Amino acid sequence: MIRFVNVFKTYDNGVQALKGVSLTINDGEFVAIIGLSGAGKSTLLRSINKMHAITSGQLLVDDVDVAQLKGKQLRLLRRSIGMIFQSFNLVKRMSVYKNVLAGRVAYHSTVTSLGFFPREDRYIALEALDTMGILEKAFTRVDQLSGGQQQRVALARSLAQKPKIILADEPVASLDPITTVQVMNDFSKINRDFGITIVANMHHVDLALKYAKRIIGIRDGLIVYDGPSKDINDKILESIYGRSLAHDEVLGVE
Amino acid sequence: MAHPFNLSSGKSVRIPFNRTIVVFVIIALLTIGFSFFIPVKWHLIRIDQLWVIFSRLFTPSHSRTWGDYFSFMLTLGDPLLATLQMSLAGTVIGCVLAVPVAVLAARNIFKSKIISIPVKLLMNLVRTIPTMILAILATFFVGLGILSGIIAIAIFSFGIMAKMLYEAIETVDMGPFEALESTGANKIVAFQHAVVSQIAPIFISYTIYIFEINIRASAVLGYVGAGGIGAVIKNNILYNYDRVGATIIVMLVVILIVQFTSNYIRRKLQ
Repeated sequence: MIRFVNVFKTYDNGVQALKGVSLTINDGEFVAIIGLSGAGKSTLLRSINKMHAITSGQLLVDDVDVAQLKGKQLRLLRRSIGMIFQSFNLVKRMSVYKNVLAGRVAYHSTVTSLGFFPREDRYIALEALDTMGILEKAFTRVDQLSGGQQQRVALARSLAQKPKIILADEPVASLDPITTVQVMNDFSKINRDFGITIVANMHHVDLALKYAKRIIGIRDGLIVYDGPSKDINDKILESIYGRSLAHDEVLGVE
Repeated sequence: MAHPFNLSSGKSVRIPFNRTIVVFVIIALLTIGFSFFIPVKWHLIRIDQLWVIFSRLFTPSHSRTWGDYFSFMLTLGDPLLATLQMSLAGTVIGCVLAVPVAVLAARNIFKSKIISIPVKLLMNLVRTIPTMILAILATFFVGLGILSGIIAIAIFSFGIMAKMLYEAIETVDMGPFEALESTGANKIVAFQHAVVSQIAPIFISYTIYIFEINIRASAVLGYVGAGGIGAVIKNNILYNYDRVGATIIVMLVVILIVQFTSNYIRRKLQ
């Protein structure tokens, strides 16, 4: 369970990204965070695994106070949370398999991680690739793959981590419409089959409504909507985006 | 100068003037002007001597035969080996020592200026000392011979590698590093898995390139007492031009072989 209680975040340059956010995300939920660029979506997501530290308020993940964590304890928290990025963040000149295996490093000491991984880890990595349907690409270099395939490799890396939560920061923003649907289906599958909580920042409102059961709308560092995706209407979207969205801005994917 | 463009919407656009060409022309003119003040002693230049020196270098002298000329080449095995040993050992030691320093200097890995500024200062300091001076200094500490050459080459290699490698690390894609930190990896492990694999081919390529430079440099180091091929040239340059010529030919062949191999390996690494 992820719980924000009146969370504020001010960056060193004075930008106030979060201005008192309170929300609770339960285990196994699929939540999409929508809002304009710069509204605080990314900050909200990245504070959950303390990639960004919050300024004040309380942030609990499974009743652990994230703000207090550092060193070993912080790394243990991060190990239980997968993260997916818009630009995949894979090592492009390494093989798919090695990239996925890298998701296991936090389970070992620094010395072990520099050398060979136990057989069990290699098994977990291959299983993760199989789950994502890209096992046959295991020994291909990442730079040979398409964008959609690369995002699946990144998902496999997160799965190899055996996470309870996956945070996705604009996971499909750099993909074409067809691969976008495939990758979103992968998220659904992971959410359904493994019960992993998914929290995703989304630019495409239609995709967010289609895949997430719950929508959190954020505007200027404040939550302006938090509820089921089926209850979203034009008026709510207007409150999130500051103006009503034209019909063609909402509809893109069937 | 340039007339503004009046667009059909009534807007007027003036394309900014490109200053690069002006700066280039000014620098070129300054360089040419500056060269007029180089004191050239024209009466000392004797182009005709060029041919004399060349013929003395590449034909046997002192009643020696062509057989002597080529058999002398065969005696160069030991000094050549010393030169290669000196270059190889110096390159490897210098390049390996440069790795931790380059990492410390890279601002994307160590964000704090407290570390990177002194490290960069040290790097720049090392590179300002000419290799010849390094070799002379080294002979004071370890005496004449190959060891002083190794030290000089190691320091020289360290200087270039630290600089080139830290720049390479700073241009690395930090996305994978961030991703690994998000999986709970510590900085050392994240660096190993996300950065090392990106810079390893660059490091190997630079090492081979530096080795190539060092073979040439080590020939000169013999002059200041570092042994090897340079010592042979030094010992013969006054009276035995033919021996110097034979040594130059051997060096040329070795350098060509190393260069072709180095080019081949570096192409393969990409």
